[in-house]
Amino acid sequence: MITVNINGKDIKLEKAVTVLEAARSAGIKIPTLCYHEQLEKYGGCRLCLVEVEKMPRLQTACTLISADGMVIRTETEQLAEVRRGILEFLLINHPLDCPYCDKAGECELQDLVEKYGTAKGRYMEKKRTVPESLEDPVIVRNMGRCIACTRCVRMCEGVQGASAIAVINRGGHSHIEPFSGGRYDCEYCGNCVSVCPVGAIMSRLHRHSYRPWQVKENIETVCPYCGVGCTVILQVRDDVIKRVVPRIGSVVNNGMLCSRGRFGYEFVGNRERLTSPLIKKNGVFEEATWEEAISLVANRLKEARDGYGGAAVAGIASPRCTNEDNFIFQKFMRVVLGTNNIDSSARTGYAGAQSFIENISGQGATANIIAGLSNSDVVLVTGGDPTTVNPILGLQIRSCAGKGGNILTVGHVRGLRHFNPAELRPALFTETLLLEGILHSLKNTKELPGSNPKFEAKIRELNISPEDIIKTCGVSEEDFNGFLKKLSGAANPAIVIGKELIQSIGSSYKLFLVLAINYLINGRVYLLSERANEQGLIDMGCTPDSLPGCRPVAYAEFRRRYETAWKTTIPDKPGLSIFEMMDSAGSGALKAMYIMGENPLFNLPESHASEAALKNLDFLVVQDIFLTETGKLADVVLPSLGWSEKEGTFTNMERRIQRLRKAVYRDGMEDWKILSEVAKNMGVKFNYADAEEIFNEISRVSPLHRDLTYNEIEKGNALYPYKGEPLRGVMEDIVSHKGDRLDAGDKLYLGLERPLFHSGTLSTKASALLHIYPEAVATISPSTAEKFSLKPGDKVRVTTGAGSLSLPVAVDDAVHGSLVMITNNFEGKGAFALIKYIADPVTKAPVIEGIEVHLEKDGTV
Amino acid sequence: MLSEAAIKEIEAIRAKYPTARAALLPAIYVAQREFGWLSPEAYEAVSDILGIPKAIARGVATFYAMYRHRPMGRNVVQLCTNVSCMILGAEKLVDFLKNRYSLEPGGTDPDGRFSLVIMECIGACGTAPAMLVNEDFYENLTEKYIEEILGKYK
Repeated sequence: MITVNINGKDIKLEKAVTVLEAARSAGIKIPTLCYHEQLEKYGGCRLCLVEVEKMPRLQTACTLISADGMVIRTETEQLAEVRRGILEFLLINHPLDCPYCDKAGECELQDLVEKYGTAKGRYMEKKRTVPESLEDPVIVRNMGRCIACTRCVRMCEGVQGASAIAVINRGGHSHIEPFSGGRYDCEYCGNCVSVCPVGAIMSRLHRHSYRPWQVKENIETVCPYCGVGCTVILQVRDDVIKRVVPRIGSVVNNGMLCSRGRFGYEFVGNRERLTSPLIKKNGVFEEATWEEAISLVANRLKEARDGYGGAAVAGIASPRCTNEDNFIFQKFMRVVLGTNNIDSSARTGYAGAQSFIENISGQGATANIIAGLSNSDVVLVTGGDPTTVNPILGLQIRSCAGKGGNILTVGHVRGLRHFNPAELRPALFTETLLLEGILHSLKNTKELPGSNPKFEAKIRELNISPEDIIKTCGVSEEDFNGFLKKLSGAANPAIVIGKELIQSIGSSYKLFLVLAINYLINGRVYLLSERANEQGLIDMGCTPDSLPGCRPVAYAEFRRRYETAWKTTIPDKPGLSIFEMMDSAGSGALKAMYIMGENPLFNLPESHASEAALKNLDFLVVQDIFLTETGKLADVVLPSLGWSEKEGTFTNMERRIQRLRKAVYRDGMEDWKILSEVAKNMGVKFNYADAEEIFNEISRVSPLHRDLTYNEIEKGNALYPYKGEPLRGVMEDIVSHKGDRLDAGDKLYLGLERPLFHSGTLSTKASALLHIYPEAVATISPSTAEKFSLKPGDKVRVTTGAGSLSLPVAVDDAVHGSLVMITNNFEGKGAFALIKYIADPVTKAPVIEGIEVHLEKDGTV
Repeated sequence: MLSEAAIKEIEAIRAKYPTARAALLPAIYVAQREFGWLSPEAYEAVSDILGIPKAIARGVATFYAMYRHRPMGRNVVQLCTNVSCMILGAEKLVDFLKNRYSLEPGGTDPDGRFSLVIMECIGACGTAPAMLVNEDFYENLTEKYIEEILGKYK
């Protein structure tokens, strides 16, 4: 125990913290500028100088570690003089443009000068001037205002790990620049904006549109983009979101955000939002009243149900909607329409992979704390780049490397390239072989632990011959052995599984291998999730085979609980998967569909077939915030309230339930409300006053969410399995499918690019993200560019067996020489249009690997 | 693109230091020599070899005044105008270079043959005025002697 005396007050410390931290713990304020709690200590601004007895000079409180018996004074005449002097120096160059500067009101320099500074400066010469930089579409730099505290640089380098900005020049000319000196070429996380104490680095999104003191409320909610579920604070003025900021101390993202979370909010006020129900009459949409639209939907669904039975109707739920919306959706389908035909886009990867994993490792096997990654000693990354799919999770991996942990990657992971990864880059189509090789070698050094006999039996059955693995995969023996040494020596390892693995040939077999590796090293599995409530919708029972709380629908003893609660019978046969729905609609067996917040035409393979299938339906109703390609095919389109316009909950990939809050007012109904209205029109009463009432029902019927309330969730630690029980012990036979290994040859193949700046098509409705990443491109390697005489900006026609797209070319040396990378984010230009539905027979995930691509120059831009 | 030899040279420099960052300054010199100045491509090349983010490489280099931060002529003349050289007529030589070769201090002649950098003391006070052309050292300069020297550089 250490005791220090600050300003005459004895402070007892558990451990030797800095004097600044000791003072703060006792409520004593010491002024600071370069200090920031998230960043490495710097001691540059000198404002935190304090007097320490027996030390000859003033000391910086932010770097001085407390020692027992220290006597410190933080407010003396001498210190006041020194602080006045430092602030006077800073104001030599800092412009006094506060009336015009957006930072005014929350500017740390302004506040300090007001408290500690003088009213008058004595400096007569001219101020340094640096022109305002508006070269970047999202971040504006006013380097005249920069006080060189380097908080932004320490954030970018030390915490974000992007190292995209640096102090340039020297002395009085020092300021901050990205590499180009103008536009940023970075991850656009905007965390530099968060930490800048003055108005030197700011967001352009809210420029000159409000003052910090005009924000009446800071509304804390959850980010709408990926499965990490970051806490975000919305600052709203006049029902417009002005700014999204993080909160230091929040559990998931602790003061950090990514580009989508920080700059992607503008879709909310987008003018293309649907405002009124639309009914198609003679092929043309006409605006209709809610009464008209809802009674039409109710009547047509009733006709389909009564005419053809529940099996002839189907519904698609949404990983962007809340748990409450999805719960009501499946209840509507099961209770009102009498069908288990409920599924979602999670079927294209996440859902299938998760049930495969859970079948082997038990329910909740992927429910691991994201922040725990940073404390692992080894993180093995498979299936793509976590820093683009789940950026804040990616930061935890970077942080792990920063703490001395080993990062191992199967394939090249661009976002981790500066973090000393041990990288094994298997040749095209040899990933399975490489994983086999890793497992085989691990088996030689590790005992099977005996905890999962059924799985072990399967691992033993594996017939792997290790010969030539290294040669065929094209990795060096030295790299392979080094990789393996790190993996087998891990004490607290984690394995990250991305969608690239799930959507590849033989994905179930690869998953099996990865799980076996994980089993041998006793690690934790993280399954990357691309949508904010992908996990929640599964938990809510929006799958054809399970009920809320992940109870299989096929068992009568599970069904009974819900049947009693809902006073109805639930069909005992699992329903159709999303792909089967399309087939069934195409063949005419399915008559009507209800699609909520999803765009299957765009997000499923074979859009031509999906289009034909949906057109073949007697009745299609689409409920969304925008008129999507799928919406255009609908008979009725219902506009719903979106993120930030409604209350509810999301469940993130670590299965933390978090509250979503209403921040802006918009006329309209929540998805659950619309569904309730339709139900009422079909003679079934769904009486819910608000989202909380729905959640109370969820916690009553779902054995997983037992006794969970909004109050409980607000405390912040509603973590799986909450107060309920996960299902253990139901383990079906472990079946996986290896698939045939393709011979790459010198052909080109399609790759799905997952950009950091986009998520589905939603992000393309946010103008800032569009500025950063404006259009769909075909990204090729320099060698491919040379072979086809293509340069960036040329148009190229990309053709596969399923379709063809004309796209501008981008050249990137991180792209594999045999791949053409295309995103699935831009309407009419999605990679899924080039994919036939060939699925892994076990996970049912579509295979986006080995799809041959034909390239043809299509003109120069 | 860096030549194979330059890449090898940077890798050899890297091997002499415990961390990549320690090797940054000498590596940047190699890239500067290859590209003629510290162009974005020069930083990118160093960044790729050393695994140091390019913004950091640029930040470090801009601290130092003696790297070439702008494109330069094929040959760089560095003339000292510090006290001893100044007393012995270096400033007249500056005028001479301006009139005879259209070389402004800090500038490049229209042919891109020479760039002139006014530099501080190079420790040749006893034999002032003095200058460097690229890495060659010349002393006891006169206008005539400079003409003779520069004639050797094309």
